[in-house]
Order: sequence, then C-alpha cells, then structure tokens
Amino acid sequence: MSLQDQLETYLTRIWAAPARVTDISRIPGGASRETYRFDVEIGGETRALILRRDPVGSLIDTERKLEFLAFRSFHGSGLPVPEAVALEEDGAELERPFFIMGRIDGGKAESPFTVPPYGEHAGAIGEQFYSHLGTIAAADPATLPIAAATPAPALDACWKVALDYWEGVIDADEEHPQPIVRACIRRLRANPPAAAQKLSVVHGDYRTGNFLHDSAGKVIALLDWEMAHIGDPLEDLGWAMEPLWSYGETDRVSGMLPRAEAIAIWEKASGLKVDPAAFAWWELFASVKGQAIWTSSAKEYRAGGLKDPVLGLSGWYTARRQDVILADRLAALESLA
Amino acid sequence: MTPTVPELLLGNFLCLMDPPPPESSGDFLQSRIAVTGMIALLCAQEAERGIEARAWENTAIRALLTDAAPTYGAAFAEAATGEDRDLSLTAMDRANAALRRALIDLHIAVETARDATLDDAIRALYVKMADARRLDLPPLPAG
Repeated sequence: MSLQDQLETYLTRIWAAPARVTDISRIPGGASRETYRFDVEIGGETRALILRRDPVGSLIDTERKLEFLAFRSFHGSGLPVPEAVALEEDGAELERPFFIMGRIDGGKAESPFTVPPYGEHAGAIGEQFYSHLGTIAAADPATLPIAAATPAPALDACWKVALDYWEGVIDADEEHPQPIVRACIRRLRANPPAAAQKLSVVHGDYRTGNFLHDSAGKVIALLDWEMAHIGDPLEDLGWAMEPLWSYGETDRVSGMLPRAEAIAIWEKASGLKVDPAAFAWWELFASVKGQAIWTSSAKEYRAGGLKDPVLGLSGWYTARRQDVILADRLAALESLA
Repeated sequence: MTPTVPELLLGNFLCLMDPPPPESSGDFLQSRIAVTGMIALLCAQEAERGIEARAWENTAIRALLTDAAPTYGAAFAEAATGEDRDLSLTAMDRANAALRRALIDLHIAVETARDATLDDAIRALYVKMADARRLDLPPLPAG
C-alpha cells in the first residue's frame, strides 16, 4: 500500500468521512523525521497539511509527542506556528509513529550552507526572529500543553539537565575520541552558570533554516520543535546565535543582526535580562550540543547502511566545522590561573 | 574520523541506487543529489589533505605527550611511542584514536594540577588540530 493510500485510509477513519489525498511529496530537510506535504479533500473542502513520520534512523532521537504538543502550545498564540492536527504514537495505518500538522504555504527555509540569504530583509527578519524567540521565552510553560509531556527542572538545575543529556549522547554515540568537545564539557561543569531567571519552553532547535519567510521580510512559520523541552530560556538564545548558523559572518548573528541588537530585541520581547556570564556558558553549551548531534548523525549514518547523505554530511563536514568553533571558544576562555 | 571517505563515497552510490517512491522524486531527490555532490566535493579535499593533516596531528600529540611525561607520568611517553609507517587513512586514524585518548587523559591531569601553561598549550593545539581537519565548502547560492 502506498503512503498516499495509507494516509487516505487513516484520515477517512479518524474523520469518519471519505478523505482523498493528492499532491503528496517529500520535503528536503527535517533530518529527524520524514516530512511530506500533501492536500486532502474532505467534505467538499481542501486542507493543506504536513506529515511528519519517524524514519528508521534519524539525526536526533526525539519524542514526537513533545513536538506535537509544542505546536499545540503556541498555535493561536500570536506566533506563526502551524496547527497540530493529529498524533499517532503507535503508527496506526502508517506503520511508524507520526503526526500531522497544518501547512503554511508561500514560504521558504534557508540552508545554513549558502551565502547569507536574506539580503535587504535581513534586519526585518532578524527583528521578528529574535522577537518571536523572546515571546516563547516569556510564556509560562506550566500553563501550556507541553507541560504534560516534559518535566520542569529546578531553576538551578537547568544547566545540568541539559549538559548531562548531551554528554550522554556523546558517550553513547562517539566512534572516535573527541578531545576538544570533552575539554569544553569539563569547563562547563567546572563553571556552572547562574540559575535560570525563569523556566521557559525551550524550542531546542531555533535557528536559521528552521523557519519560513516570505522573501519579502516576514517570518511566516516557526518549525522543527522536535527538541522542545522546559528549561533555561538562554539555551535557545545561545543556540540561535551559534556561529554555525551565521553563514560565516562575524558581525551579524544568524546572518541577520548585530549581536547587541538581537539581544536587545530578545530582552524586550521576553522581559528578561541576558547575564553575560551565564550567556557565555550557554553559548559554549550550544556548540557542545551541536557536536553531540553531529556525533549521533555519524553513528546513525553507519547504522542506516550509509543511505542518508544528510546524516553523512552532518557527521563529517558539520562536525569538523563545529570542532573549529569549539576550539576557538575554548581558546578564548580565561586561563586556569 | 567518522565517517570515512570510502564510506561516504559508497553511501553516495547506495543512496541513489534504489529508485525512490513517487512521493520522493521531486524536490527531495534533487536535494539528495545536491548533498551527494557536496560530499563528493569535500571527499576530494580530504583525499588531498587528509593524510597530511593526520600525520601532523599525530606528530604534534606525540610531541606533547613526550614533553609532559616527566611531570605527568611515564604512561604518556609510552602512549607517544610509535610512528605512522602505514600512511593509509584507516591506519592513521587508528593511531590517532589512541593518541587522542592519551591527550584527553593528559588534559584532565593538567586541569587537575591547575597547570595553566600546559593547559594554554593544549588549547592552542586544539585550535590547530581543528583547523588542520577543516573542510571548505565553497559559498553556495541561496535558493
């Protein structure tokens, strides 16, 4: 049975009406899940939808329920977040776990491997990008659906929970010793940051490439919430400013805005302050987290029979770029003395 | 390092060998072909520079371990013994893995001893190691 047939059978069952699926096509990217766009005709109407299905191997081990509830937490909140439509953790007719969400058409996502892509709209996009992130940080996670699926750490434990998790990923998946990231992890443990100012929903992968813009300066969809959790809001800010996502630019973060301007926009939207020392910790952490993800992708590439070139590229080229960033960050830290 | 050049080039072949299902034949297939092209381009760089980078790194780590042994223990001198006679990527990576493990152990000992001079030297070596293995992707046009 084709994927189209499986979807029709599933949607017909859950909506108790004949559903006809058309124009189904797989979308590049989204390495942690297979992502398809499709239309469904039901009750005389056509709905534009996205299917996110677990692959056999993936870039990161993620919880599809978390991502589904993250969409549900912020859809309709004023942020451009698609609607969460259906979740099947046991796979149902599609055989592997999946969820379906609304599709926002007319936008494009940019690869982190291109020349700076935003042109004259970089400032406008950057203002929305960092303002939206501040809005996410400002929300009270205890009042949102995602709180049902992820624990809320103590304010002074956010850093440790995050670091333990990603160090554990490296421990589990590393296939060649990595002295640089190991040294960074030790520095992070030896110099923990101040406690989080508040608990926030952490998007987990808020960066260039994980949002859609309309090519005219407007951000129209915030996507890829598969690593969402509750934690320190500075975690997302550090990840968003990770040099890997800045197109090689040093004077603009994310290829969008000067760093101080981006921080000011985030502070205004979140109502929070960026403590420089704590943020330096979260910036180094972001580079460690990146290396953990690329370490996993290398292992998954082999485990999956070398058939997903995105995993291969991530576990090799991107890992080496990340090592350059980590080594530079480590060298810039104060001397032990 | 992971993955290796032979794995990546084999992977390029394998991922394009099977005909994709109809729903994966448009933008997805085009993107996949583009990624395999990037991998091939970068594999050419690795073929050109990879041996030299590994030989340099292994030599640099051996020198560091040898110099540190009088202070931090003979085990580091023992870990530094040997030389890269087999210049295949596989053999050099095998030697590199052992040397990197010893370097990690040494760095931990240096940090414990609060030895700022050697810590600075190791951190400077990390910068050179990362730079030596760097792969350069030419700027690609935005879509």
